[in-house]
This record gives sequence, C-alpha cells and structure tokens, in this order.
Amino acid sequence: MSTLSRDRLSLGEKLLSVSWPFVMLITMVACVGFVSLYSAAGGHVEPWAGKQAIRFVIGLAGMIVVSVIDIRWWMRLAYPIFIAVILSLVFVDIKGHIGMGAQRWISIAGLQLQPSEIMKIAIVLALARFFHGATAEDVKNPLFLVMPLGLLAVPVGLVLAQPDLGTAIMLISVAGGMFFIAGVSYWMFGVVIAGGLAMLPVAWHFMHDYQRQRVMIFLNPESDPLGAGYHITQSKIALGSGGVFGKGFLHGTQSHLNFLPEKQTDFIFTLFTEEWGLVGGLALLALFAVIIVYGYFMAFNCQNQFGRLLSTGIIINFSLYIFINIGMVMGLLPVVGVPLPMSSHGGTAMLSVLFGFGLLMSAHVHRDVKVTRRGFDMA
Amino acid sequence: MRDFLNISSRLSGRHGKDIKDNAAFHASSLLRAKARLVMVVTVFMVGYLAISLRLADLTLLRAKPAEDTGLPQDVRPLKKPLRGPIVDRNGNLVATSLAMASVYADTTMIENAPAVARELAAILPDEKEPEILRKLQSGKKFIWIARDITPRQEYKINALGHPGLAFQEEERRIYPEGNLLAHLLGYTDVDGNGIAGIEKAHDADLKAGDKTVRLTIDLRVQHIMHRELSAAMKKFSAKAGVGLVMDVDTGDVISMVSLPDFDPLHPGDARDAAMFPRATLGVYEMGSTFKLFSMAAALDSGRVHFSSEFDATKPLHYGRFTINDYEPKHRFLTVPEIFIYSSNIGTAKMAEYIGTDALKSFYRRMGFFDTVPVDLPERGAPLYPRPWRDINTLTAAFGHGVAVSPLHLVRAAAALVNGGIMIKPHLVQTDEPRRLSPGPEGERVIKPQTSLAVRRLLEMVVAAGTGRKAYVEGYDVGGKTGTAEKNKGGKYEKHLLVSSFLGVYPISNPRYVVLAMLDEPHGTKDTWGFATGGWVAAPVVAKVVEQMAPLYHIPPDFNSHDIVREMAMYLKDAKEGKSLASVGTDR
Repeated sequence: MSTLSRDRLSLGEKLLSVSWPFVMLITMVACVGFVSLYSAAGGHVEPWAGKQAIRFVIGLAGMIVVSVIDIRWWMRLAYPIFIAVILSLVFVDIKGHIGMGAQRWISIAGLQLQPSEIMKIAIVLALARFFHGATAEDVKNPLFLVMPLGLLAVPVGLVLAQPDLGTAIMLISVAGGMFFIAGVSYWMFGVVIAGGLAMLPVAWHFMHDYQRQRVMIFLNPESDPLGAGYHITQSKIALGSGGVFGKGFLHGTQSHLNFLPEKQTDFIFTLFTEEWGLVGGLALLALFAVIIVYGYFMAFNCQNQFGRLLSTGIIINFSLYIFINIGMVMGLLPVVGVPLPMSSHGGTAMLSVLFGFGLLMSAHVHRDVKVTRRGFDMA
Repeated sequence: MRDFLNISSRLSGRHGKDIKDNAAFHASSLLRAKARLVMVVTVFMVGYLAISLRLADLTLLRAKPAEDTGLPQDVRPLKKPLRGPIVDRNGNLVATSLAMASVYADTTMIENAPAVARELAAILPDEKEPEILRKLQSGKKFIWIARDITPRQEYKINALGHPGLAFQEEERRIYPEGNLLAHLLGYTDVDGNGIAGIEKAHDADLKAGDKTVRLTIDLRVQHIMHRELSAAMKKFSAKAGVGLVMDVDTGDVISMVSLPDFDPLHPGDARDAAMFPRATLGVYEMGSTFKLFSMAAALDSGRVHFSSEFDATKPLHYGRFTINDYEPKHRFLTVPEIFIYSSNIGTAKMAEYIGTDALKSFYRRMGFFDTVPVDLPERGAPLYPRPWRDINTLTAAFGHGVAVSPLHLVRAAAALVNGGIMIKPHLVQTDEPRRLSPGPEGERVIKPQTSLAVRRLLEMVVAAGTGRKAYVEGYDVGGKTGTAEKNKGGKYEKHLLVSSFLGVYPISNPRYVVLAMLDEPHGTKDTWGFATGGWVAAPVVAKVVEQMAPLYHIPPDFNSHDIVREMAMYLKDAKEGKSLASVGTDR
C-alpha cells in the first residue's frame, strides 16, 4: 500500500486508516455528556441521557461511513448539499412566516432537523470547494471574492431572518477563518472589518426602537436581571460553588434544585463543573483541546487544498461551539444559545458535529489523494 | 451513468494542463495555508487559555459559602422588605403595609378549567365564575386570577392542589385614618411605588423598609380641622375647602386638609376634583388677606406709618379699571383703618405710594413668585402678571392678579408674625435637631418692629374689624379676612367667592398660623346671606383654636389688652364716639 495510491484503497484498508484514537476522544466527550445528562435528570437515564446515547451511536456509525467515502465525492456533493440546506432554510423561514408557528426545524422521516445547524457544515463544504481551485493570484483579486461572499451572505441572511444571531455569528466566523486559510490578504480583512464597523451606526439608525432594545439586551443581559442576566448569574454561582473538586456526582445543588436554567442543554458545562469542580472542568477543556489540536494536525497533513480547507473549517466550527458556549456560561460572552458539542442534549447539533468529524476524517483518510482543480479525476 | 461518463471524458481531455496547474498552485498555497494555519492555532490557544483562567477564577476566587452549608443560593432576595410605615408627630400610625398574596394561573397546566373555575369562584367571592373561566381558558402561561387575597383564601386555594395555580407575594398599603390625610400621604401603585404625596416624596426611604417616616402633622389637630372645615363646607354648600395650621417658628405643618378628599385605599374610585391637593397644588387669588403683605411692605419701607392717611374719598379710576370699596367711607383713612375696613382704594393708593419695585421685591421675598420649598411632589407654581404693569401693583396690593397656593400664604404670614424670618415649611420631621436656640431660623425678610406692627393690625381686625367672628373668649386671636371674587374666563364673578380667614394666635406671642378657606361658599339665613371670609371662614378658625389651644397647653388669658386703647388713636369712627362693635364691615 503506497501512500500515493490512496485513491484506490479498498474499504477494509480505508477502515484501517480511519484515525481510531480520534474516534475514541470523541466518544470520551460524548460520555461526559451522558454522565452530565444522567445527573441533570436527577440520576435517571430518562429523559435525556438514553436518547442522547442512541443518537450518538447512530451518529458515530454515520461518521465512520462518511469518513470512508472518497473525499472527491464530497467535493462534488459540496454545492448540492449547500443548495439543499439553503432550500430547507428558506422552507423553514417561509413556514415561520405563513403563520404555522416560528420554527427552526423541519421534520424528515420523524427526525427533527435544524437546517441552521447543518448549514454550519454545509458552508464549510461549499467554501472549501470554491477555494480549492483558487490560485494565489485569484485570491488577491477582490472580484474573485464576490462569489464566496455571496455564498456566505445567503445563509447568513436566512438565519438572521429566523432570527438566530448566534448561528449567524458562527457562520461569519467560520467563513472568516476559511477565507484566512485560503490566503485572502490582510488588507481585505481590514477593509471588510472596517466597513462592517462603519455600517453599524447606519444600521442602528435604520432600526426600530424595539429592535435597538433587543440589541441592547443582547449586548448587556445584566440589564434584564430576571431574564438572560438571571441565567448568567445563576450559572456563575453554580460554577463558583463547585470549588476545586466539585460537589460530587449527582450532588450539584444549584442545578438539581432548578436554580440553573437550561441545565441539560446550553448550561451543561455549568452542571458538570459544579459537580466535578475546577479539576473536572479543566479535564473536559483539555479533552476538547486535544480534539482540536488533533484536528489541526489532520488538516496540516492534508496534501490537497480541499481537504485542508475542509478540515480547518470543521475544526474552527467545533472550536467556536466550545468557545461561545463556555464563554457564555461563564459570563464572558452574551447568551446566544449555542450548545456544547457532544455534551448538550440536542439531536441536530450532535449529528452535524459528527457529520463534520466524518468529513474531517475522510479528508484524513484521503490525505494523499490528488484532487484536480475541478474535483473528480477518474484517470 | 451516462452523465458520469460524459463528465470524466470532458475532464480527461484537459488532463495535461491540470497537472501543471496543480503543481504550481500546490507549492504556493501549501506554504501560505500552513503559515496561516499556525496563526489560527495560536489564536485559538490564546482563547483557550483565557477560558481556562476564567474557569479557575470562577471556581477558586469566587467560591461561595454555599459550599459550606450545602444549601442552594438564589440571586433573588427571598423576601422584599415591606414598605416602611408613616406616623404622625406623636407616633400614631397613619400608613403601613401588610403582606398579601395574589393568585395567578399557568393555563397550560390547568386541566378541566370549568371545575377549577367553580372551585375558585367559591373561594373568591369578588371574582365572577365566568370571568375566571375565561382567564383559565385564555391559553396563557401567566394570567392573574385575583390580587390581594386574604391568607385564608390563599390557604384554601393552595389546598385545592392544582399545579397550574400559584401565588405571588405582594403587599398592600393600608391607611388606618382613611380620608383624613389623603392628599398629604398620597398613595402607591399596585407594585408598591409611591406615586403621590409623601409616599412619592419619600419613596426611596419607605421602600428600604427600615425607616419610619415621621410627619409634623398632629393627628388630633388634623381631626379638629377636618371636622370643622367639613362642617363649614356643608353648612355653606361650598365646593371645596382648605385648612392649614403651621408652627410659625419651625415651619412644621401641624394640620393640612384639602376638601373634598378621597379614600387612599381606593384612589382609583375618586373623582378628579377630590384627588386635587388644593392646599399645596391649588393656586388662588387670595383677596384681602394679601393686604397683610402690602401693608407690611409699606410699613417695612419706613415711608408709611400708622398715622399716615390715604385718600379713599372716591373710587379709583386707572385706565379702564375702577377700584371700589365694599363699604366706602368716602374720606381719608389712616393705615389701621384701611386694614380694619379692608379698603381696596386705600390699599391701592398706599401701594402706589411705595411703588411697583418695592411691592414686587417684597412679594418676591415673601416667596409669592416661586413654588413653595416643601417636600411634596404636588406644588403649585404661583401665577403673577408678566409683564407687570403699574395697574398690577394696585390690584396685587389687595390680592388680585397674583395667585398663590394656601401653603404660600400661610408660610409668608408666619414670617410676618414670627419676628420677620422666612421659614421653610416642613411636613416630615428630620433626624437632625431642628434648632438649638429658640426663635425661627431662616432669612430675615422684615424688621422686627414691622412684625410687631403687623401683629397689632391683625389683633385690631378681630377686636373690632371684619374678623370679629374669629374672636375666642380667652384666646387672643388675630387675623385677616379675605374674600376674593373668582375669575371665570377673564371676568370677576361677584357671586363666586373664595372666602378665607388667616388667623394667628396667641397674637401677643404668635405660635401658630391657622388658615381656613372655602371655595364658592353660599350664605345662609344665619349669615344674612353673606358668604364673605368674616362670616364663613373666621368661625372655623375660632373653633379650631378653641379646641387646639388646650392640647398645646396654651393657657387662656382673660386680661384685657391695650389694643382697644391703641385703636382709638387711629380709628376716627371711635374718636367720634361710635360703638367699636359696629365699625367693621365683615368684608
């Protein structure tokens, strides 16, 4: 098995070259999630931990399948997937508009999926596909960037219409990271950031009073002490009450007595740290750090631009989940409703993260595959 | 499958070029991408470090004592302190708060709404069953069922055991004296915020819950004033009334009554007229009581003395205005005569003599051009002519053209009789000692001898002038009547009066100013149809003084004073041998 013949690997060979340590790390984080959800339910598998475990097993199997599919197939599917997710976003927006209730999810075969979560992966695929064929000269040309900016603007607009500011910010950040890796010049970043900042007062000027108020509460939740600010204060108290070694498994008083809101979803990290203390919290952070660093190594070793861009986008996306969620529960960031990957109770987020990891591993399995500028090369 | 083959054949046709391109773009993009990857990794590592430090900060440095007790903590205080009480100057409770509960429903958790509504209606007699049912079927997650229910009702509803019903602890403001202090105390809204009167002025202190607000009001005097003023209002079918008692040295308001009033427990039920705090917010043209101030201005200027005489032989024409006397004497009048007979012509002439500037600056010193500096949100801004023409000086001298609140009047009168010091009215007793030495503190506004002269004039009015009905056997009351015609749409109405009496006692050593004022009183058979201040308001002051004096240990003094002898020097009618009892005109 030569390294250059990876495009002709058999299924068995591919399965062997899947990075199983990485799979193990993911499973460990998921187990932290199961344990926390078991505790959140007061020491019961129902209603969260059991369902989450089933979802994880299905998702993990799916991830392995995704990882052995040839990277070039994913490259060909990049735009179709992107367009499909865009259409489902439009569908969700319209459904909300024509009065069937504001919803962020659609039902497919009994599964309730949030297109906005899947979009976080789809945008990575689409941008990796786009930048794959770009030369250094292309990327320096501002006109060349109109197309990827459009690829970003459409989903951001749709997500904002829901409205879901958290997802919009994540999409923009992930795309920004990919633009950066793709080699877009610093001055262009400068222009876009400066332009964005300059637009803020203008946008502010055109907003209605109630919209401004929402922005103010978003920026300063403490101004709403019994609403969003209440969550944060409770979260900080719970974290602080954990101390160094925590209160022990199933003994987190703040969360079990329901002082801590949303303990099974967005605030799962708080619940975990209250029970396991600073030591537990740092251990979980370390676990996440290892996954991220591992991911970067995989990205580094990719010999093709598409795989590298794809892996980096997936890892940036994963890191943002962690930063925003943990920053949020510790009061460093405003509450925007981003789950902790693999741990928070919730289907689509877990499935989309596992799908992303599947793509990451596919890029790793096919790291030496030559990918032409246009994608598939059957020769 | 056909499509697939098509694509691959198209791709293979350009294969050779792709290989070359790939080589070039791999070399450049690999380096670039790897350098940038390292930068991204660095940024994330810094972020990670920040998050880890924050975690250590929260768990180590901000660890809460909850660790020790094992008890959960809630950032919401379990119980808000009850709103603080208000007491009168003797410590009698006039406002207090009771803890109550309100019941609300999460209708999504209500099953069998009709049955629940029936059970609730049986416990809550004030609520109608269909209304409760409508609320329970509203589909809302929060809806009030009933507010301020009794503990027994709360217990019964709790015993029903419906998970969709819950309670909110609330407090209810109670005013044990009912209407008695309505305007002064004000009231609170359902959320316990003071929105009028003392409740608003001292909202922060009261909300803190640990402080008692002590009023300067004496509940006993308040009762006396309320009773006498209500009786007079009824007797003379007046539209409204104001009663005030003020300590002339300290500025303490001992009693303050505005009628009609309302029940502060149910301010929403009151009519607008009843809600109006006339004593402080109402501004009136006071009429002849104002002659006290123009007189003081003239005497204080040093250019006018008791023996000065002014021409009151005929009505005074000024432009298109004519100034008349109610009972003209058709001769020159001495200063005490002008005051005792309440001569408009004489007062106007005197004001003209001292000049516009002197009168205006004196009124300004009396505080008639500013709102009263008192601790209440309801303070009326005075009205006065702008621009001020010379004719305004003449009318303002006898109390027309300038409108002030009753509290303005009482405060300024206190300054005239306490020796000449302008004081600040107080409604609430402060913690700091008020005074170390006896005597009022504040700005001196008139000379002590002017204050003495004003007192003599006030004494003469009750002894022999328009204020004889304020005479109380054994108590030397002084005072001045006032009867102002009300200005309706720019015209003065002869039969719509504001009749008042401004009393001071003991006049030999003044301690209290007592004001009684009736708005649109109507004469009765007893008063020969008269509705002037001397007939309707002076008796109220007499009755209040009579009952209040013993409470304040002011001994009666039956020795005659030399006032009658002094009057004889200045009153020509007396010199001419007429009976003193008939010199007054009751105007």
